[in-house]
Formats: sequence, C-alpha cells, structure tokens
Amino acid sequence: MNPLITLLQDFGLAAVPAVGFAMIFNVPKPALKYCALAGAIGHALRFALTKPSLPWIGPLPIELATLIAAGVVSVIGIYWAQKWRAHPKVFTVAAMIPMVPGVYAFTALLALVEIERKGYSEALLRTALDNGLRAFFIIAALAVGLALPGLLFYRRKPVV
Amino acid sequence: MNVDKVTWVKDDQREVTRLCAQAGLMLLQHGAESALVESVVRRLGLALGMDAVELVLLANGITLTTIRGGGCHTTARRNLDRGINMHAVTEVQRTMLLAEEKQLDAAGVARRLDGIKPFRYPRWLVSVMVGFSCAAFARLGLLAQGAEADLGTYVLTFAASAVAMHVRQWLASFQFNPLVNFAVTAFIATSIAAQGVIHGWVDSPKIAMSACVLLFVPGFPFINAVSDMVKGYINTGISRGVMAVLLLLACCAGIVLAMTVWNVWTWL
Repeated sequence: MNPLITLLQDFGLAAVPAVGFAMIFNVPKPALKYCALAGAIGHALRFALTKPSLPWIGPLPIELATLIAAGVVSVIGIYWAQKWRAHPKVFTVAAMIPMVPGVYAFTALLALVEIERKGYSEALLRTALDNGLRAFFIIAALAVGLALPGLLFYRRKPVV
Repeated sequence: MNVDKVTWVKDDQREVTRLCAQAGLMLLQHGAESALVESVVRRLGLALGMDAVELVLLANGITLTTIRGGGCHTTARRNLDRGINMHAVTEVQRTMLLAEEKQLDAAGVARRLDGIKPFRYPRWLVSVMVGFSCAAFARLGLLAQGAEADLGTYVLTFAASAVAMHVRQWLASFQFNPLVNFAVTAFIATSIAAQGVIHGWVDSPKIAMSACVLLFVPGFPFINAVSDMVKGYINTGISRGVMAVLLLLACCAGIVLAMTVWNVWTWL
C-alpha cells in the first residue's frame, strides 16, 4: 500500500477513539473537534516516526516517538487552552488515548494470570515483562510528553 | 475595637474558605490532576482577598487553610469520586478566572459554583461512539501489522464494545463499585467477541478479542498518576496509579473468566 495513504488512514482512524473517549470524559461539545484533531495528529506523527522508511533519522523506538508526539500535541493544546480559557488537559488527554498501550498492558497482566494458573515458564514471564515494561514506558512517555511545555517553558507560571 | 466589624471580617473569611473547599473538591471529584486543583484553589482564594491559601491533597480528601492578616481558617472535605468530567473542571476554572479579573465577588463565585451542573453525554451516544472507537482500534491494529482489512472483525468488535459500554454505564448508574463493574463488563465484552471466534466469523480473532476490551483501559487515571508524580504530588500519584492497576486487574479477571467459560484462548 502507498505509505501516504496508510498515514492518512492512520490519521483518520485515530480521530475516532479520541472523540469516543472524550465523550466518556464529558469534554464539552465545542472542544470535541480539537480532541479529534489532536488525537489524529499525535497518533499519525508517532506512526510516521516509527516507520523504517523514515528518512534521515531512521525508525525511532516507540517510546521516544510517543514522547515526541505527546510533546507536540501538548504544545498545540496550550495554544487552544489559552484561546478557549480551559486547562490544556481538557483537549490533550483524550488525544493521548489512541496512543495508550492498552494491548501491551492487558497482555502483561494476562501472562501473569497464566503463570498463576499453569505455573512458572520462561516464555510466559518474558511475555509479562516485555509487555509490562513497554506499557509502563509508553505511559510514562505520554505523561511526561504532555508535561514537557510546563517543565521547560511554563516553569512557575500557570498556562491559563 | 468595633466588635461588629471583627465578626464581619471573620464571616467573610469563612465564606471564602468554604468556596475554596467547594471548588477544590469539585475539581478533585471530576478527575483534575493535583497541580491543577492546587493552583485553581490558591488563585481563587487570593482573588477573593486572602493573603495565602495552603492546601493538602489526599486521594480521598482535601484540607485547606486560608490566611488573612494573621487569622487562619482551616477546613477539611471528604472526596467521593464522581467520574471524570472535563465540563465541570472547565467551569470551575472559568469561575476562578472571572474572580481573578474582578468580574465576580465572593457571592458571585458562590452562585456560579452552585449553578454548575456537570454535563453528561446521552448513554446510547457514548456507547455507539465507544463501539466505533474500538472498531477503529481493531483497524489500527491490523494496519500496524500490515494486514488486509476484515469487515467481520470490525463489526464484531463494534458490537462487543458497544454492548459492554452500555452495560458499564447502566451498572454505574446503580452505584456499583467500579472494580465489580469493570470485571462484569469485561466478561461480557470478551464473551461476545468469543462467539465470533467460535463460529469463525472473523479472520483475525486475536485483534477482535483484544480491541473489544480497550474501552476498559483507564488511560486518564494512568496519565494523571504519572503527571502528579512528575510534578511532586507523589501521594495522590501513587493512589491514582494503584487504582488504575486494580481496574486493569479487575478487567483481567473478567477476561480470564470469559476465556475459561468459552474455552477460547486466542489472546496469548
């Protein structure tokens, strides 16, 4: 498939969970479109950064790509927040949802349950550790990426 | 000294303390991160004429002291989780901003805070949108693997997650413990997805089984937990993180039970 079409598909698909979960978080209606756009930008950016065909810097590890994508979304979120007089998290957390490593987290916990059921095996422990650590690092990258503008530029000042 | 004036000053400070507690509690109940709660409450108190506002946050309570001219008022409130609601958080923050711009006095802030009715989307709409979200996750999963599109997988994922989301909201309206709620609804979602696998409706059973439970991943509490800890609120961060992991474990219990009942072990 054409890489550009794949990227566009990723962009469009990631907007759906961003809106769906923004509704679970009861984000006000006028802000939903910002959640969709930010979610799409974040996920598509991460998707592009982890592709082997990426020129110059090559494929980035998913954790680093997540950190960069979350940081970019956070900067956009601060611009909207100041325009809209609301905390940036209103837009940005729903936008992070498509990038949350749900499958890794569940696989790690299910592997632990399997160890309890069937007894220890190296393969299961490896599954649990690999997936659990990856889930932990991606979540940490999401949260730290969101906090980056605050940590670097708005150190003691409130954003809004 | 004029006794009347002294009582008036005290009542005034008591009212501001009460308003600060109300605002902080509302933020905490609706899923704001600790740094936001502290900054909004402090700025509200200062805008309403206090010299300083000091705040201690716990996962299930809030204690705050307002200080003016050497007089202190302290109050504590118990926190009951009301579910994440960004509308309520936005409204409380805008009230604080209006008070800072001197457009609202203490009485105005009280009226505005009392008038906040946390907005909720209609249940059926949330269920349908969450169904689409999980179907989109299934497509994203296939896209990442470079696999072909598979309509059966999307339809099955949509059905399983939309039904599970509807049951989750329905059970939540009866005030069930979220852990119980998540375990039961994860069982339902996995059971529906397992039917498709048993009857061979889908080409990629693993994707369908995993995508339909993604609505249970507590992304917001996890992100709040890490950002609390990064910003120095280790206590609330740990509480939120542990709660999020417990929610995931409850889901796991539901998933494993469903996989045992239907004997479908495609996940691992």
